Amino acid sequence: MSSDQNLSADVVIVGSGVAGSSIANELARAGISVVVLEAGPRVDRQHFVDNFRNLENKPSYQGPFPSTPWAEHPPNQITPNKYLHTSGPNAEAYQQVYLRMMGGTTWHWAGCAWRYLPSDFELKTRYGQGRDWALKYDDLEPFYYQAEVMMGVCGPDPKVEDLGSPRKQPYPMEALPISYAAQQFRKLISEKTPYRVVHEPQARNTKPYDGRPTCEGHNNCMPICPIGAMYNGGYSVYHAEAAGAKFVPNAVVYKIERDSANKKVTAVHYYDPDKGSHRVTGKYFVIAAHCIETAKLLLVSADEQSPDGIANSSGHVGRNMMDHTGVQVTFISGDKALWPGRGPLETNVIDNFRDGDWRGDRGAYLVHMVDDNQVDFATQLAISKGYVGRDLEEQIRYLASHTVRLFSHNEALPDPDNRLTLSTTHKDALGIPHPDVYYKLPEYTVRSCEHTRGLFKNLIGLMHGTDEQWTPGYFPQDHPSGSTIMGVDPKDSVVDGHCRTHDHENLFIASSSVFSTVGTGNITLTVAALALRVADTLKKELLHA
Amino acid sequence: MPDFKTVFWSFLIGGTVLGGLSGHAARAADVDQDVMNRGAYLATAADCIACHTKPGGTPFAGGLKIATPMGDIISTNITPDADHGIGKYSEHDFEQALRRGKRRDGENLYPVMPYVSYAGMTDQDIHALYVWFMNGVKPVAETPPATQLSFPSNIRLTLSGWNMLAGSEKQETGDSATYDKLRRGKYLATALEHCGTCHTPRNVMLMEKSDEFLAGSPVAGWYAPNITPSKTGGIGDWNEDDVVQYLRTGRVKGKSQAAGPMGEAVEHSTSHLTDADLHALAAFVLQVKPIDDTADHQPRDAFGKANDIPDLRSGELTRIDNLSHKNPENLFDANCAACHEQNGAGTADQYAPSLYKNSVVGAGRPDNLIMTILTGVNRKTADGHASMPAFGSTSDVQRLDDEEVASLVNYVSKTFGSGTYQVTADQVAQVRKEHTQH
Repeated sequence: MSSDQNLSADVVIVGSGVAGSSIANELARAGISVVVLEAGPRVDRQHFVDNFRNLENKPSYQGPFPSTPWAEHPPNQITPNKYLHTSGPNAEAYQQVYLRMMGGTTWHWAGCAWRYLPSDFELKTRYGQGRDWALKYDDLEPFYYQAEVMMGVCGPDPKVEDLGSPRKQPYPMEALPISYAAQQFRKLISEKTPYRVVHEPQARNTKPYDGRPTCEGHNNCMPICPIGAMYNGGYSVYHAEAAGAKFVPNAVVYKIERDSANKKVTAVHYYDPDKGSHRVTGKYFVIAAHCIETAKLLLVSADEQSPDGIANSSGHVGRNMMDHTGVQVTFISGDKALWPGRGPLETNVIDNFRDGDWRGDRGAYLVHMVDDNQVDFATQLAISKGYVGRDLEEQIRYLASHTVRLFSHNEALPDPDNRLTLSTTHKDALGIPHPDVYYKLPEYTVRSCEHTRGLFKNLIGLMHGTDEQWTPGYFPQDHPSGSTIMGVDPKDSVVDGHCRTHDHENLFIASSSVFSTVGTGNITLTVAALALRVADTLKKELLHA
Repeated sequence: MPDFKTVFWSFLIGGTVLGGLSGHAARAADVDQDVMNRGAYLATAADCIACHTKPGGTPFAGGLKIATPMGDIISTNITPDADHGIGKYSEHDFEQALRRGKRRDGENLYPVMPYVSYAGMTDQDIHALYVWFMNGVKPVAETPPATQLSFPSNIRLTLSGWNMLAGSEKQETGDSATYDKLRRGKYLATALEHCGTCHTPRNVMLMEKSDEFLAGSPVAGWYAPNITPSKTGGIGDWNEDDVVQYLRTGRVKGKSQAAGPMGEAVEHSTSHLTDADLHALAAFVLQVKPIDDTADHQPRDAFGKANDIPDLRSGELTRIDNLSHKNPENLFDANCAACHEQNGAGTADQYAPSLYKNSVVGAGRPDNLIMTILTGVNRKTADGHASMPAFGSTSDVQRLDDEEVASLVNYVSKTFGSGTYQVTADQVAQVRKEHTQH
């Protein structure tokens, strides 16, 4: 046992990604004492940039982030995986990657900062599918804006380009300029299809913002923005610390202690890297440890009082695992050169299929035309075609400038059978079981993906495409969600509309794990908005108690 | 001669807040608008706002902490509030403060207030400034904390002796708007912009050395460099248009860019001057006595060339918790090269400037390179928002420790600049402690 037996705070937060760090920052600024327990280490940018330079496989998003043995994260998206073990008919489609360290996975996101549509919160009511959330879009709107200001989100003027999520305030920054490749794509879609390409809202600076510079288009947002133009949770950790929050790195929480009535959490216990155990007490507790790790922690903490795990009287902890599992194709355009790879990775989206009456039958989706550098793909293709010498060089140049990559986010549904459990065969260095996930793509999502394939084939035809390479099966999007699902009924959900667990009145969850359905937009902004709403609830309860 | 009206509006747009909408505007309506406009322009040219506004504070309400060799001096509220500002000042009181450093109650002002420079202002301009401060500035009812100096600097009486010894600008006469180019330039440089307050070295009594006008002097961790037309130590290789562009935008590609206090002076003052005034000021500065610098043996903006760093790829990845110090070239590669390019050439449009042919890197002293790395660049003009993130201890982008900053400064100087100094981590620590919150 350890020396800091007395570590205690009004609010104890587990996890320092965008959710945990933004709550910590808000509370600390309001004068509330906060401890943030982060399983992984304190980190900085320069070492990741260095690792990125040394990385052979540049498209490997996890590559520059070799994890610590006490807080392992998936080393890659390959099955079988050394950490996240997946099974089921679509096991490969649930190879999610994420980062366990200060700031969390926002170190290698692409900054896509979508608000959900009002309909995304009412799928059951409107379309008879899935579930309704225990809150409405309007409940979240002010927190969406707060999250956009915190991160520094740029986006289009809603009067010019309405993205379907009503706004009371303009975006904090003007939309990104559209790259040359995106301009060509936008022109094609508007001239030859009934669809449209919109500016993607991005947590990325289009002017100097919050002491960080304007995006310079280095084109490697994933795996690492080299200049800090893109938001990551590490900034909120810094801001929280400056406001007085205590940040404890390398603190792997493994046990959640409750009172004798099992109604209130009294402490969490964590291991340091040498497996010394420490106890941290508080008035409120927030688990903000990422969808997979949050469910894992609740299950690992099972004891005599709660043999199925903490907050799990419904039996839904670890169930309803969702993602934006999608479809991906890369091909060579037969039209003019596009020269992708000049600007941020993801800036433009076809948003026509985010909502519609057909949602009663098949899932919604959105399409990214990815603006990443294609030299790697072009080189492999040119070599496979047998080019050598000067011809090879010319082919690489031609193919790299004509490559188009499209992928989709397709809406999943909460299915209790899609389930995270604790591995019975693999444990980490501290003896904590690895996560196992069973995954079968819901038919609703399969039908959505089929529709997307049809659209992609049309687009390939319109661009006189050749050499199409489809990612086999389905394409994981690293947007895991649903493992501690939100609902009004404690019998079939884990948290209520304020992300408070039904079972324990002072335990909150801030993560995509609370999502009741997953919509189509990237999940991060909604995670941040929900987290800021949790902070608001805690402030009200602590300051007006 | 200056088009005061145009400038007055650009001044407003530039973000300086005036009284405007209160009962105050009614008072303003009674006064001569030409005099008001002239006063507003003069206040900009004299850069009153630079010291009399704290970061994020209301214009002219004071509260800025100014580090001096005597200790920290806190600027006062010079809005026309009767109790907290200068609302009770008569024009005579105002003139005495500006030209003689005398407060209304007869006490001496600390000479961080550049009254030795403002002494050169004409009566007509003092009047315009007074009218504008009393009618055009919004009164603010707050008193900044008092300056607390230790003995003997806290005895303001001792300043009377200093004032006698220090001398001051000779008072100009007539209508300053009608001066010929060089006279107008001298008036701007000395009586208004008070360039010498920072750029002229001071003697042991902290008085400006009149025989070394504009020859360079330390200021709050930075170094206000030699801007005499010396071919080696100064800006003898600049022409009038270069100087005008620098004062208007804060930068001349392939030569120099303003950060720190000069960035603020450009943002708040010189970028708002008329073309004619900028040319007058430039012409005057370029004909002062050239003073060769003992540290600089060639123009500081003439050093270096593109210099590719070797291929640093080792193929080795470090674990995420390994935050050990890197080699200087790796530090440069991971922190600087993304914007300034691996060979130091900067971006094609020079938004991120080249590191060679750059006065900050070529200077014989490391002050400005250290301060730029620790505090960044943040300069807004009509030309755009120049921004470099800070790499100090409050940076969100990257926090470098003293050893890393020293290593980087030495590497950049050696690779792209004069390479004439070796900075130690202790030196960086001292600068960080004394001059930054970073």
